[in-house]
Amino acid sequence: MGSPRSQKPLELILARNLLTSISTPGFLLDSDAAVVFYNEAAAALLGRSFEDAGRMSAEQWTAAFGPFDRQGAPVEVDGLATTEAIRAGRPAHGSFTIRAADGARVAIEASAFPIVASEHGSSGAMVLFWPLSENGDSSPGGGR
Amino acid sequence: MRVKVWGARGSVPAPGPHMNRYGGNTSCVQVTLADGDVLILDAGTGIRNLGVGLVGARRINILLTHLHLDHIQGLMFFPPCFREESQITIWGPASPEASLEDRIARYISAPLSPVEVRELPCSVSFRDTPATEWEVAGATIRAEAVTHRGPTLGYRITDGDTALAYIPDHEPALGAPLAGLEPEWISGFDLARGVDLLIHDCQYADDEYPEHVGWGHSGLSDTLIFASRVEADRLLLFHHDPLHSDEFLDDLGATAKRAWQGLRRDATELELGQEGGEFAVGPAVQAVHA
Repeated sequence: MGSPRSQKPLELILARNLLTSISTPGFLLDSDAAVVFYNEAAAALLGRSFEDAGRMSAEQWTAAFGPFDRQGAPVEVDGLATTEAIRAGRPAHGSFTIRAADGARVAIEASAFPIVASEHGSSGAMVLFWPLSENGDSSPGGGR
Repeated sequence: MRVKVWGARGSVPAPGPHMNRYGGNTSCVQVTLADGDVLILDAGTGIRNLGVGLVGARRINILLTHLHLDHIQGLMFFPPCFREESQITIWGPASPEASLEDRIARYISAPLSPVEVRELPCSVSFRDTPATEWEVAGATIRAEAVTHRGPTLGYRITDGDTALAYIPDHEPALGAPLAGLEPEWISGFDLARGVDLLIHDCQYADDEYPEHVGWGHSGLSDTLIFASRVEADRLLLFHHDPLHSDEFLDDLGATAKRAWQGLRRDATELELGQEGGEFAVGPAVQAVHA
């Protein structure tokens, strides 16, 4: 009949539906900060589809894709804008470098905002990100 | 468990000679539990006729999916509201904006109404649905938010080994093709999983749906796919568009049965909601029409 995994909260379902419909790279985190979805635009940037990647914990995500700071050092999970969005329940913004599946480094700006439902508190966060050009401008289209 | 449909129309009452068989009253379903207790699902205009026959019932539970007018319009004309001995509990979706009572009182108050909630002779209480399952009249109730416009619930009612899901206003396919989506990402999936009877939104024929994407209702194919994905034993198509005549709904029902068979299901498992229609619900029971 289907997966025994519990159903996602409606607000996450609707957020996923939105991400599926836009060309801005974006992903969704659940309340444990695990990546539970990213869209095709993000897949194009990362070089790996979500169908292939599947759900990833924050640690798995950082191991696979980074991010890295301007000096190339890995950014700890606690230092991510996404973590702040979930733990502190407020929006956050940051600039990082991520590593795509082919090893290429991509400079991005990311904005994360919490998804909070009155019924059961924080459901997770939505993160939108933009690749930066060499002069530091963000690309509206999102692709590499 | 027995189910009786008192109103299967969506959006606005649709009386008239071309609507007589399926009926023009808006959403209201009576659920009679195995021990005889009654739950009322939504308070569209169909609840007026239901209330006429509820003589002697003291404790009445009404489960509202949401507060759009086609789901609450009958409240003000529900005869038990005007009987001192009635003890009515109205359950509905919570909102951070105002209490359930205050939101309903926007309708049952001047200038829209000649009476105020506080003037009703009955004893009435308003309760936000809990986030977890709860018991009402011996049945286990579960409410979850579903895809519609504004805060909207679907209900799963379990009485013994019989389960019913009531999701009259629902657009689970909005931005999400249902056929290939993982169950955990389908709005309403857990509510309807494996129920004996699913009462579900089917406001539009497939050729009408593209003009109504995002309106919060389902087209026929999406309803059938949803029902098939959740493996509902039986399906009652509900919340008929007010423009759909008896003749139109007959054709829609025939199309639905063919498509249902195309999903390798038995055509007898599917019906259109019809005012006055009654069902015995449970494993391997048949419909009984009034």
